[in-house]
Amino acid sequence: MDLTVSERIAAGRDDFLLVEIERFQGPLDLLLHLIRTQDIEIFDIPIAKITDQFLQAIRGLEATDLDGAGEFLEMAATLIHIKSQMLLPRPGQDEDEDPRAELVRRLLEYEQIREISQRLRSAEADRSRRFGKGYVPPRPKKPLEDVPLETTWDEVFEAAMQVEMPIPRDRTHRVTTRKVTMEEKAILILDHLKRSTRVEFNRLLQGFKERSHGVMTFLAGLELTRRRMLFLRQTRPFAELWIYKRDQDTEADEAPPVPRAEPTSSEDDQGVDA
Amino acid sequence: MNAHQIVEAVLFASDAPLTADEIARADELLDEDEVEDALQFLRAEYDDAGRAFQLVEVAEGYQILTRPEFAPYLERFDNVPRPSRLSGPALETLAIIAYRQPIGRVEVEYIRGVGSSGVIRTLQDRRLIDVVGRAEGLGRPLLYGTTNHFLAHFGFKSLEDLPRPDELPIVLRERIPLEADHDTTDDDEAEDDSAPADELPEGWTGEASTEESEQVAQD
Repeated sequence: MDLTVSERIAAGRDDFLLVEIERFQGPLDLLLHLIRTQDIEIFDIPIAKITDQFLQAIRGLEATDLDGAGEFLEMAATLIHIKSQMLLPRPGQDEDEDPRAELVRRLLEYEQIREISQRLRSAEADRSRRFGKGYVPPRPKKPLEDVPLETTWDEVFEAAMQVEMPIPRDRTHRVTTRKVTMEEKAILILDHLKRSTRVEFNRLLQGFKERSHGVMTFLAGLELTRRRMLFLRQTRPFAELWIYKRDQDTEADEAPPVPRAEPTSSEDDQGVDA
Repeated sequence: MNAHQIVEAVLFASDAPLTADEIARADELLDEDEVEDALQFLRAEYDDAGRAFQLVEVAEGYQILTRPEFAPYLERFDNVPRPSRLSGPALETLAIIAYRQPIGRVEVEYIRGVGSSGVIRTLQDRRLIDVVGRAEGLGRPLLYGTTNHFLAHFGFKSLEDLPRPDELPIVLRERIPLEADHDTTDDDEAEDDSAPADELPEGWTGEASTEESEQVAQD
């Protein structure tokens, strides 16, 4: 662009309408551009003029981008509809209801959103100037190009000879899995409680994948609770389950500090005697 | 070891904002109030000592971040995480969702005037928005809202940090309340949140459908 829009208007040229549609986020953006660059009073849009300008501006739309074009065409249809309503007020229609009202409301709303996104953009820029901890590993190297296979039959034969043939076995093969025992989980819990007065249930599951570990850890927790070696606490349903050490000497007969009436802490009561 | 040292250690080791509540989990003797006190102490200490980093409140939590003036030095390193910038359409869509949440795709598209399903998916992939519920009505369309990651990305403490509509230089504010508590009139129209775009309230009154949206976001 060699001239600003206002210069072009002043020069009586209307080729400022030959806008690049791609520059605009959509039909509302384009309409606002037309209105704001010509200092048009938004509450009194000269709808005939704007419609013509809008139609001229979208003339350059690529026919290939049907989705994008459709949105502009839809707006064009809306503008033409409003124009016709302005010319031919339907009898019985509310005199106060300006056919342009909804369009103006949308334009203002869109303009406000556009302003907010500018604010967001500068907030984003500000934030990006502050760095938190975190390390990003160097970008991975490009994968190796496909190397053409270069070999000889001798090499292939040699390699083939090194492959051990499977020896058929006639022994019965028994598959056993390592069983998860409650004892080992009890030891795990007590081990953690040696170092700290409480431990998160989930922490005890770290490194174990199978569900049986969770089940056994929980059962071990219940068993130890029954033996009054610890108590379980959960502040609300589905919250994190905490396992607390219980001092056997001092509070063997005391109730745990969690009031039993508290419905959400039922974990430690139920199942104890089950 | 005292409380503010423990809090400092936890913050130092974290690469994401932590709430006082989360920090308090570090030690059974710490409660939230003590953490808050420690945070104030650390914030003042960093500022007074002129450290290169600050304790910043962001995304409902706290994080140790470098001061902005050191950005040019850090940007020279490849392995310093560089936040990516969002595109224009993404920012526009995010702005609408931030102010109107919970909001459905059809309403976003009506406000923008263009199809937005791709942008919404991208924002969702980048964890800036998430599905927060479903609207009543035909097809029970999904409703979207912003996430904590959204706050972190823009460095906002909470949604309160978003520019208020009445700070904006646009005359709109009496007509289009962007917040529910700005609502003035038109309670009679507060029925059809899930209405398709062409049935949205018309006329100069310009009812923004924030109020209705709240009713349907509960599930």
